[in-house]
Amino acid sequence: VRVVIAEDTVLLREGLAGLLEDAGHVVVGRAGDADVLLALVEEHQPELAVVDVRMPPDYDREGTRAAVAIRRDHPRTAVLVLSQHIETRDVVELVSSGGGFGYLLKDRVLDVDDFLDAARRVADGGSALDPQVVAGLFGGRRDHDALDELTPREREVLGLVAEGRTNAGISRRLWLTEKTVETHVRSILMKLGLVINTEDHRRVLAVLAYLRASDQG
Amino acid sequence: MRRYARSLAWLTAAAVVVAAVAEVVVRAVAQSRGIRHSFAPEWELFYLAGVLAPAVVGLGVALRRPGNRVAWILLFGSLFVAVVMAAVAIAGLALHHDRNSVAGRWAALVSQEWPCFFAWPLALAFLFPDGRLPSPRWRLPAAFAAVSTGGMVLLLFFGSRDLTGGFGHATSPLPWVIGEGVGTALFWPCFVGFLVSLISGAACVRARYRRGSEDVRRQVLWLAYGVLLLPIWFGATALWGLVVGDSGEGGQALLMVVQAWLAVAVAVAVSRHGLYQIDRLISRTVAFLVLTALLAATYAAGVTLAGLAAGRGSAAAAALATAIAALAFGPLRRRVQTAVDRRFARARFEAVALIGGFVDDVHNARAEPEDVGAALAVALGDPTAEVVFRLPETTGYADREGRLLPGLPDDGRVHRPVLLGERELGVLLHDPAVERNPDLLRAVLAAAAVAIELARLRVELRLQLAAVESSRARIAQAGYEERRRLERDLHDGAQQRLVTLGIVLRRLQRSLPRQAQVLVPALDAAVDEVSGAINDLRTIAAGVRPPRLDQGLAAALTDLARGATVPVELHATPERAPPDVEVTAYFVACEALTNAIKHASSSHVEMHSARDDGVLRLVIADDGVGGARPSGGGLTGLADRVAAQGGTLKIVSAPGAGTRIAVELPCVS
Repeated sequence: VRVVIAEDTVLLREGLAGLLEDAGHVVVGRAGDADVLLALVEEHQPELAVVDVRMPPDYDREGTRAAVAIRRDHPRTAVLVLSQHIETRDVVELVSSGGGFGYLLKDRVLDVDDFLDAARRVADGGSALDPQVVAGLFGGRRDHDALDELTPREREVLGLVAEGRTNAGISRRLWLTEKTVETHVRSILMKLGLVINTEDHRRVLAVLAYLRASDQG
Repeated sequence: MRRYARSLAWLTAAAVVVAAVAEVVVRAVAQSRGIRHSFAPEWELFYLAGVLAPAVVGLGVALRRPGNRVAWILLFGSLFVAVVMAAVAIAGLALHHDRNSVAGRWAALVSQEWPCFFAWPLALAFLFPDGRLPSPRWRLPAAFAAVSTGGMVLLLFFGSRDLTGGFGHATSPLPWVIGEGVGTALFWPCFVGFLVSLISGAACVRARYRRGSEDVRRQVLWLAYGVLLLPIWFGATALWGLVVGDSGEGGQALLMVVQAWLAVAVAVAVSRHGLYQIDRLISRTVAFLVLTALLAATYAAGVTLAGLAAGRGSAAAAALATAIAALAFGPLRRRVQTAVDRRFARARFEAVALIGGFVDDVHNARAEPEDVGAALAVALGDPTAEVVFRLPETTGYADREGRLLPGLPDDGRVHRPVLLGERELGVLLHDPAVERNPDLLRAVLAAAAVAIELARLRVELRLQLAAVESSRARIAQAGYEERRRLERDLHDGAQQRLVTLGIVLRRLQRSLPRQAQVLVPALDAAVDEVSGAINDLRTIAAGVRPPRLDQGLAAALTDLARGATVPVELHATPERAPPDVEVTAYFVACEALTNAIKHASSSHVEMHSARDDGVLRLVIADDGVGGARPSGGGLTGLADRVAAQGGTLKIVSAPGAGTRIAVELPCVS
């Protein structure tokens, strides 16, 4: 996978590039701010852009804005946004607005396999949502009725689905067979009243939409 | 022309001095020869003052405004008086030695001209202060006065063969005279005309006063006071003549004093009429005269009544009458002065009464002391009048609203410091016209001083409170800025470095050769430590200042509610407030929520935020045990934070009934 990295701290940028290259990806561009990032994406049309939220000049949300621009102008370039802290609401909107988008806390990188898995998923048109954001979606719910009917295991699975993981990913994570995971997912979707193709990435969107809707309602 | 006028003025003044010196010398000679005269040496001073004062004033006016007839009236008037007075002295000396001395007889003739004392004051009455009649209508009375006075002068000169005076008797040196019978027949109509002219002159002064501008009025008042003294002199000499038999030296001296006063009055009126308060002098004089008359009447009545009881001429009657007069003095004096003030200084009387009423209103809380400026504007009749208040320990002033003034306005208004003792309370800004009545100004300011001081103190207090509030807000603001910077530093500095360190460790771990795989668990542990440190930092940063606040209070409260261990029902307005207000509200919510969960064992919390009327309202209510003490450490801290933003915090927490914290924060940015 060809990757462009945007991160203003040089050491961190090189570290990220090293990790990705170690995993066999090709880092075609390194940017220190949003403008260079957009130019590089324009030039190389990479499959993935890894973007820091805060970058010069204002250290505000340049990365998020650049991510939105990339998704709009270069639909074939997926974006993985890295942040130092959680910014729930508009991130959830971004993730659930379609595939090819990921949002992770920066230190998830240290769990290297997980990070690389998320990067590949996103590059393939899937999504990745930080577990802490998902936990926030669970915690903010006011009616616990529907979720209360889930078993603890099912809830765990639901969280991983919301994070954007595939059944294979979930099975690896929970030390279950893929078959068992599939059963859990069917049961969950039935209890929540969601009828969708269990294999499709769109189930993530549906789950997120469900969690957000009940969160707001 | 002007040059000649000056020369003439100097010449006339010199002539007056020569005549005056002649009079003094001749009189001294006569004195040394033992010739008794109506004028004793000790009265010479009055004589000199009466003669020289008009000449000096006349000269001064003539040099500055040679076109003004007032100058020439004074110069020639004093020359006339000086010549007549010198003639009196010469006649006395010359005729004493020789009844038929030619010089003595001429001097005796000239000495007959007593109207000299009244001619120039009369002319002044018609022509003062600008040398013109007030209106053409006064031409006839003025001509009448000139004819009757002039006729009198001529008749005194040519009318009679027999001359009488202090020198005794003499015959006129003129070869021809009109003669006793015809002269007298003509003299009396002239004399009556002269008396009528005195009255019409007074009427002219009055007319000028009534129609004149404020300046003219003041000038005329000075003259009027001098003119007032003339009838007093008439009355006094007449009374003295009736009682003692002869007006004598005292009467003469008094007349000279009146003359001198008239000259001084003209001088002041022409140059510095605004400086002295003639109306006050007039009112005091009138009050004194009226009081004297009343006391005399009281005394007379007392003597008569007591005399009926105790016998005529008894000492007891006189003592009783004196006692009655003395008892009556105090109350009488006050009444008379008030009445006279009301009549002669009405403006001041009313103005002071008005300010007195205002001060009463302030005492009874019917008026704000800060309105003292408006009250003064009414009292002084100057709508532009305004009071600004002095701020101690600065050089500045503040207006009635407590706004600091960059400086006193330079708009043509006079800046008059208002003092209480040595202390400056403020400055009265007023129209320059008000200065024409400094007495009124002084009286009104004295009456208003208490109100001004009260207003000044209140303005000062307000300003100090505002200063404290704004400094508190600045400190709070600085605190928030600092938190924001700290939060940034933690995220973008330390945390970033830790992540980098973790990545380096991971890459190291992955590139380890097979024989070094024993290091893997150690590196895992190291990375776990790094992750733990990052999480710690994130928690600290969130405590310093939640980054979610960047997206608004509602977003931050949503996060807060999600993170809580009990269900939180949140209704947050999406409207934004100024950043420092949102931060304050957020920390209040944090603290209240922590209290609800930790101390109150609540199972349900409700949070509402709303914005209306420029105020952010936040209510946090729980169903816990209640009984929270507002003085508790956490709650006091909350109250301080809210107060620093100029807001209010209310806590209702009855035991067993949950706790409700309501905050209102003004959203002025």
